[in-house]
Amino acid sequence: MKVMSNERFLKLSTYILLIAWAVFVLFPIYWMLTTSFKSKLDVFLGPKYVPWVDFKPIMQWWIRMFTVERREVIPPLVSSAVVASISSLFAVLLGTMAAYGLTRFKFKLGPFGNRDILVWIVSQRMMPPIVIALALFLMFKVVNLLDTRLGMILIYTAFNLPIAAWMMRNFLSQIPISIEEAALVDGASRFQIFFRVVLPLTLPSLAATFLLCFIFAWNEFLFALILTYDQARTMPILIAAQHFQRGPQWWDISVLSTVAIAPVVIIALSLQRYFVKGLIPISK
Amino acid sequence: MKNIWGSFTGKKAGRTFILPAVIILLALTIFPFLFCIFLTFGKVSFLGGLQIHFTGLKNWMRLFGDERFYNALRITILITVIAVAIEYVLGLGLALLLNRGVKGSTFFRVLFLLPMMLTPIVVGYMGRMMFNPTRGPVNHVLPLLGLPAVAWLTEPKIVLYSVILTDIWQWTPFMILILFAGLQSIPPALLEAARVDGASRWELFREVVFPLLAPASIAAILLRIVEVLKIMDKIYILTGGGPGISSESMTLFGYSLGLRAFDLAYGATIAFSLFITVLVISIIFILMTRRFQEIGLE
Repeated sequence: MKVMSNERFLKLSTYILLIAWAVFVLFPIYWMLTTSFKSKLDVFLGPKYVPWVDFKPIMQWWIRMFTVERREVIPPLVSSAVVASISSLFAVLLGTMAAYGLTRFKFKLGPFGNRDILVWIVSQRMMPPIVIALALFLMFKVVNLLDTRLGMILIYTAFNLPIAAWMMRNFLSQIPISIEEAALVDGASRFQIFFRVVLPLTLPSLAATFLLCFIFAWNEFLFALILTYDQARTMPILIAAQHFQRGPQWWDISVLSTVAIAPVVIIALSLQRYFVKGLIPISK
Repeated sequence: MKNIWGSFTGKKAGRTFILPAVIILLALTIFPFLFCIFLTFGKVSFLGGLQIHFTGLKNWMRLFGDERFYNALRITILITVIAVAIEYVLGLGLALLLNRGVKGSTFFRVLFLLPMMLTPIVVGYMGRMMFNPTRGPVNHVLPLLGLPAVAWLTEPKIVLYSVILTDIWQWTPFMILILFAGLQSIPPALLEAARVDGASRWELFREVVFPLLAPASIAAILLRIVEVLKIMDKIYILTGGGPGISSESMTLFGYSLGLRAFDLAYGATIAFSLFITVLVISIIFILMTRRFQEIGLE
């Protein structure tokens, strides 16, 4: 009898704590979303919590942002989308090739083997971005890549390569090589095998890796802050500039922020388990 | 066509697979890195085209005499230590809760991991709206609970904790992610055996689960330390480093001096000193935890 009530208490306390953390996680997101539907008065007289009870939600800021302010908003949105998707595509392609090389061939570079090459690639991610960003500012200035989408694609490819190589290595090492061996016996070259056998087999993993890289590039701030100023500005730069340009217009900031996090939230909620599988090699 | 493909077999093919990645990293990470080191010994001027003058150790002398450098270093390390410690404890607790396998824990897990995917700039704004002194919900709710309202973003002693709280909100999920995966990989038979031996819940955690979790814990903490030492975007929005320089991190300091004050060489010196800081702290942490790593692997 006592054991029963103990179990029940445990379960109840688990739920209470989980729900408490869920509220902690969700509230700031909720706050931002609702602020994008508040009138100026409701923001300034705030805090107002519940739409239709505390305040009357309005669409004004959303409509204005995509009509009057269109010229301001659309280019960074396009920049972000183009830069993030193309750079992620490159990162996944090059990262997968590297991962394939490292899982299917034996390398020897002096005392260094496959494991060391992998560690070298992945450890690039540990480097503080400011170290390379300031140097890149000068390099890009010399070769006229400052404030161009091409420059941003290049740097985001390098920025995401380590994580792409790491994830794809974890995925590729789980695929049995017997299929490839069969193709090799049939006289296919390594490249044919890679493009016609391996890539199709790993399509879901490629998609998961691509989307994680996309999120990182989409969210990135420091490189964009230092290497762009006008033509190639991305969403985080536009949003960060809101405050400095005309004081905190919380409703506008909320609209833009909601636009910026919407794709990420959708991707994260639907595909998270694939990310987890790739990021953490299962040792069981 | 067949011939071109055919030539990529054996040893050469292996190299062809990893070469593109290596070249990209050499060009866009290693070269700028070396260039940064080079810059710390010079002065950049744009008069009559880009010129870099060699100035010896001048930037480094300036750095070691710069109050603002020690301030930024102290703040960065303080934020890192406090934030990572709290994130680890919370993350471990939440991972254990999720691991109890109550109904709906998958839902909670997906939800809990969400913040770390969000744009840091947006998270910074969320923090500013939550902490707004008069219109923010935090200062509205505190008095209702009998607590005093707090000057979250204007009081030099407190702004650091606002930054830390925001980082905890965004990055505790990372601890949950790694530690939950660690918990999942503990063989159930082991736990069952300990339970049969009459271990209590607490003993089970202290003697079995926690030691087995050591490698995951160490990896998660190390990765977070390295990340938080680079912190900048959330501070940029939350406080802009202020009031004054009371919340200025190393990256923000390097950016301000390198690009806003447009002294790229000095900015590079600050940036490279951050790299050394990250390296030294990581090595110390790895050496300190080596002992526990071995226990975990036993």
